[in-house]
Amino acid sequence: MMLIRDLVGLSFRNLLLHKLRSLLTSLGVIFGVGSVIAMLAISEGAKHSALAQIEAMGIDKVIVFSRRPPIDGKSESSSENASVMERFGLTEQDRQHISRMDNVERITALFDTRNKILKGLQRMDLKLVGCDRAFLNETAAEIEDGRWFSKIDFDSNAQVCVIGMNVKRKLFTLGDTNVIGSNLRIGDHVFRIIGILDNPYATQLPEVGGQNDMILIPMTTGKILFKDYTFLREGRQFKITRVEYDIFLVKVNDTFFIDNTSKRISGYLEKTHEATKDWGMIVPLELLRQRERTQNIFTIVMGSIAGISLVVGGIGIMNIMLASVYERRKEIGTRRALGAQKSDILLQFLIETVFLTTSGGITGILVGVLIGKIITNYSGMETIYSWWSIILALAISCIVGVIFGTYPAYQAAQQNPINVLRSE
Amino acid sequence: MAESQIIVQLKDIRKTYITGDLQVPVLKGINAQVERGEFVGFIGTSGSGKSTLLNILGMLDVPTSGEYLLEDVDVSRLSDVEQATIRNRKIGFIFQSFNLFPALTVEQNIEVPMLYARVPGRVRTKRALELAKRVGLGHRLGHKPTQLSGGECQRIAIARALSNSPAFILADEPTGNLDEKTSNEIMELFHELNREQNVTIVMVTHNPALGPHYDKIIRLRDGRIDDRLFEWEIARQQQLQQQQEAAQ
Ligand SMILES: Nc1ncnc2c1ncn2[C@@H]1O[C@H](COP(=O)(O)OP(=O)(O)OP(=O)(O)O)[C@@H](O)[C@H]1O
Ligand SMILES: [Mg+2]
Repeated sequence: MMLIRDLVGLSFRNLLLHKLRSLLTSLGVIFGVGSVIAMLAISEGAKHSALAQIEAMGIDKVIVFSRRPPIDGKSESSSENASVMERFGLTEQDRQHISRMDNVERITALFDTRNKILKGLQRMDLKLVGCDRAFLNETAAEIEDGRWFSKIDFDSNAQVCVIGMNVKRKLFTLGDTNVIGSNLRIGDHVFRIIGILDNPYATQLPEVGGQNDMILIPMTTGKILFKDYTFLREGRQFKITRVEYDIFLVKVNDTFFIDNTSKRISGYLEKTHEATKDWGMIVPLELLRQRERTQNIFTIVMGSIAGISLVVGGIGIMNIMLASVYERRKEIGTRRALGAQKSDILLQFLIETVFLTTSGGITGILVGVLIGKIITNYSGMETIYSWWSIILALAISCIVGVIFGTYPAYQAAQQNPINVLRSE
Repeated sequence: MAESQIIVQLKDIRKTYITGDLQVPVLKGINAQVERGEFVGFIGTSGSGKSTLLNILGMLDVPTSGEYLLEDVDVSRLSDVEQATIRNRKIGFIFQSFNLFPALTVEQNIEVPMLYARVPGRVRTKRALELAKRVGLGHRLGHKPTQLSGGECQRIAIARALSNSPAFILADEPTGNLDEKTSNEIMELFHELNREQNVTIVMVTHNPALGPHYDKIIRLRDGRIDDRLFEWEIARQQQLQQQQEAAQ
């Protein structure tokens, strides 16, 4: 032990004696470790933000949605002028049934009124959506300004709305302070804006779109004003669409039952919506699991690529240590003459290499953190430095030293002392 | 004369280097012995095999044939580890080109053999100071070898050789790189060590002028021991005879 401490001190002094050479030698390890750290930070960051988005959908939920069934040949061949009546999607009956299922705590529904939203003559990519009052609590969204719907708004079918962040951005000029309280005119109807909603994850719901692009009105108001019927004129053709509900956010009382519940819901819907596939289902928890799996693979791949540069760095170090053994034959011979065992020489060179790679590793960690910070700065990508990645990097640089230091150290120990003393 | 205690015994030591097809016999049967406390000089022309013999004495090299007894132990029977331990505890090496470690300070250089003897740090520091003082360089402990003159370097090398209190010092032309004045100082230091601590010293040189320093001279010529005496040896013997006669 005592010897090891002295040998570490000795390696340090040898390192200082050849500062530039030591730096150049460990450059491979510095950048190898640096890239390991940076890559792990980036992939951890990517994982985190992707997972956060999925989590924002609610991992305790099953999302069921209505979807226009694929067009079949018959309706296409019908005469051009004929008006088409389309009816699909989730119904009140589905809602009743699902809410009675075991483990289902609550259903929060959304209803897309399918109105065109115009700004002047330009059609905006926004949606007027009726929602249940629980909707706010069921999502990651928060009220940024104003208020959410009250019970009275629902009971009295009030013509009020809460708009998403993007709606405000698209319909109002920047710095407009009178958004709350002002009126929004959609078709023949006027809604008073009572609040602004912000979902920091900009959660997307299937078919309906981003939460920040919604103009929300109470479900009761929506049902009364728009009656589930939507008239759309396409060319000379009228199209009447009837959809009762567009989204069910089915909250399950325990994530443990998610898989089971989602199976029962889809079983039920398959049976009742036999004729057409006019619904879909998303299970955020399942997405999360998949995403985690793919992220882990991604992390492993990235890590391996960075690991290759570490191997290259290690080979560089081995090369230089071998040259150093040759160069220091006289020192080795003198040490043997002064009583060093072969094992002492072996240990000395091994410690020297490990010292070199480990200090390279420490520098590399700093470099990696720096690279990550620069990437975050310029691309906005999230980077996360986990403790385990730093410990891993240190361990790896240590191991690289042992692996690539053993052979040169063995060579040093095997030097014949007389030959080395003769070589002046 | 005190009881003669033989520390080194060489019996028909031969060494032949083989390079390719060529066999180069360097030592052709050396028989010699060194007593405890003796100051022995190996003198011979360049290439006569002095360093080869010294390396065999230091167990850095093995003879092609013959027997080498160190304190009555046949060293060829010792393992690598045992040989290293003997080099460490019993033998002190001194080289012509000093062979100090440039990365280390004077103090650390002196401590190296103690390091391999696993001597604890505090004891090492104390002993290093003691030894540096003994060779007259107590004030240079923190310096690097490159900051010292040749003579000073050799003194440090001597201090290093002494650090584990060896019984036996092997020096290969220790004054070969030094001027005459410094050489004499270094030789004087060896004499003092030999007298004070009863260290056995075997020193190699090709400089016959150093001859009078030694108690005993082993002359190598063409791989064999040359029994002819130098003029000063004859003179010294005559002197001794006269003293004995006078005493009677
Ligand atoms: N490894 C070797 N292979 C072949 N020949 C060698 C080897 N080592 C030494 N020799 C030869 O052995 C002879 C004696 O060498 P040695 O170094 O012992 O001489 P020396 O008496 O110490 O000479 P010097 O006074 O110049 O130091 C020389 O002729 C040398 O060329
Ligand atoms: Mg020689």
